[in-house]
Amino acid sequence: MATEFCPVYSPFFGVMGCVSSIVFTCLGAGYGTAKSGVGITAMGVMRPDLIIRGLFPVVLAGIVGIYGLVVSVVISGGLTQNLSLFSSFVQLGSGLSVGLAGLAAGFAIGIVGDAGVRGFAQQPKLFVGMMLILIFAEVLAIYGLIVALILNTRAGSGTCE
Amino acid sequence: MMSVASNTASTPYSYNSYAKYVYGYIASLIAFILTVIVFYYVLTGRGERIDFGWFLMETSPYMWASIGVGLAVSLSVVGAALGIYTTGVSIIGGGVKAPRIKTKNLISVIFCEAVAIYGLIIAIVLTGQIVIYTPELADSDYTVKSRNWFSGYAMFGAGIITGVVNLVCGICVGQVGSGAALSDAADPTLFVKVLIIEIFGSAIGLFGLIVSVLVISKAKMGDKA
Repeated sequence: MATEFCPVYSPFFGVMGCVSSIVFTCLGAGYGTAKSGVGITAMGVMRPDLIIRGLFPVVLAGIVGIYGLVVSVVISGGLTQNLSLFSSFVQLGSGLSVGLAGLAAGFAIGIVGDAGVRGFAQQPKLFVGMMLILIFAEVLAIYGLIVALILNTRAGSGTCE
Repeated sequence: MMSVASNTASTPYSYNSYAKYVYGYIASLIAFILTVIVFYYVLTGRGERIDFGWFLMETSPYMWASIGVGLAVSLSVVGAALGIYTTGVSIIGGGVKAPRIKTKNLISVIFCEAVAIYGLIIAIVLTGQIVIYTPELADSDYTVKSRNWFSGYAMFGAGIITGVVNLVCGICVGQVGSGAALSDAADPTLFVKVLIIEIFGSAIGLFGLIVSVLVISKAKMGDKA
């Protein structure tokens, strides 16, 4: 039966959490892949031997998408019809945290990857520097993933009778 | 001094530069009107009338499910179209001096088209899930009502996931495909390596497909409790 804290509309917020986690991280991953991909194709014309090492930012952008996928799968496992408002809002929060963090990280990876591969084509010693900056950008998405997973372990503790 | 004055008189402002002012004006006007309405309700003691929960409860789950179906296919197709025009323009432009690229680079166009097919599949699966329930049964039996309402929200969510993720994936694959076409025109050995980047971009659309299938599997409309 519906109560004040288990209304019939509460799964909406859980579903929105699942949506926001995959949608925003894929936005970031798409931007990262596209922007750094354009840089790789531009530098590949001059230095085709460096393309394979230049794929590093593209791989990191894909990993950001996987973080969103992981959190979405975890949230969607917790979606049921008799969901308390507590659980559904916690799911919304965890989806938003990984989503927007992944969006930001994807943007950073894209912009740094684009500039990085273009510089790396002219000065191959820059590869380590580019790699370090990209890893710092990727770690931002990991922060969002950690908070999302910690929040999501609390989502199961609110119950409807 | 005279040359500066004549410069500003002779070059008129283009319409494009006014766009941000117009959008800013419209957005702030809408925000102001919404703020006034909300403050009016809250300050006259009727704040509870602004009820998002009432909206979610009173709207039919058919509306949510159908909007999900519509957005799943339409936004995916928009993404595919954006990708195809970005790639196609570069294939044709690069093909002027290097006509050999035109057949191999159709792969990029096919990657973008696949994005639209993902959206089509999810929309067809979603329409199969829209089942009629009797409203009197929903009013009397809470488990039937809660399952149908939950299914409506889940189908909306699945539609949004597919639509927006495929929109982004289409744009991304289009940008990379455009770069691939131009680098193929410059050096034919580069195409296979740049294709790896397109595969990474295509994987993003697959992530959205996986999550929306997971969410759809939770949705079940109908009369059974």
